[in-house]
Amino acid sequence: MKIDHSLPLEYSTEENRLKIFGFWIFLGAEIMLFATLFASYFTLYNRTGSGPNGAEIFHITPVLLETILLLTSSFTIGLGVHAMRLGRQKAMMGFFVVTLLLGLAFLGVEIFEFVTYVHEGAGLQTSAFTSILLTTLGTHGAHVTVGLFWGLYILIQVKRDGLTPETGNKSFIFSLYWHFLDVVWIFIFSFIYLKGMM
Amino acid sequence: MSELFPLKQVMGFVFSLVLTAVALGVYYFDMSFAVGMTVLLVTAFLQAGLQLVVFMHAGETEDKGAIYTNVYYGVIIALVTVFGTLLALVWDMG
Repeated sequence: MKIDHSLPLEYSTEENRLKIFGFWIFLGAEIMLFATLFASYFTLYNRTGSGPNGAEIFHITPVLLETILLLTSSFTIGLGVHAMRLGRQKAMMGFFVVTLLLGLAFLGVEIFEFVTYVHEGAGLQTSAFTSILLTTLGTHGAHVTVGLFWGLYILIQVKRDGLTPETGNKSFIFSLYWHFLDVVWIFIFSFIYLKGMM
Repeated sequence: MSELFPLKQVMGFVFSLVLTAVALGVYYFDMSFAVGMTVLLVTAFLQAGLQLVVFMHAGETEDKGAIYTNVYYGVIIALVTVFGTLLALVWDMG
């Protein structure tokens, strides 16, 4: 395996470079997945039937908390990748742990929010609006959940093998996934929550 | 210690918080739907671009062209899906 030391660890072999590009293609497909969910949401958001509408069930505090948790986690994983490029394994792992804890806190707030919705009479089957709302938020939340496990397994591998072209590449690709989830959340925050409460 | 907090990423984080605060303006201030949506569209897409360039290192290697082509393609399909749906199903043309 040819290792190019002039490039960051995660790009240092041809295979690594192609894996990163392949993941970008996957993210392109993810953009389209969320686009279909947003298109459905915009079509259905005023079909509330006898259930509540957005303004009645959205609360700014949990939403703002979720936004800050996820934005900060996106920052800390960025610092993790930076530390990895400096070869600082301990610092890198520390930043990844903080990222996953912030992600876990985000998920906690989101689950609390879902429970509140159901208590307020906005379940998955209440109306077209609540269905598409919970499907869209749930798809994002499921991605975060997958990310938590993925990140955990990455950390275990970095601890076991150290920073190698292979673990570096895996860690970098995981960071792309995590930043992407933050981008999706920004659109949920803006065009579902803030628009709904405007 | 400070080498672990590069200025570019710290500034990127600060800027993303500022964009969030600006977007929050549509909640705290009374504004028309058109003005509010403009604010949200501008802040959301700036925020997305910021993540892409500062945190995802999209432009750092020789794959830069292919990565951006792929992202633009995804975004174009996303916009056509969303606005095509709005045009066909929501906006009343009658």
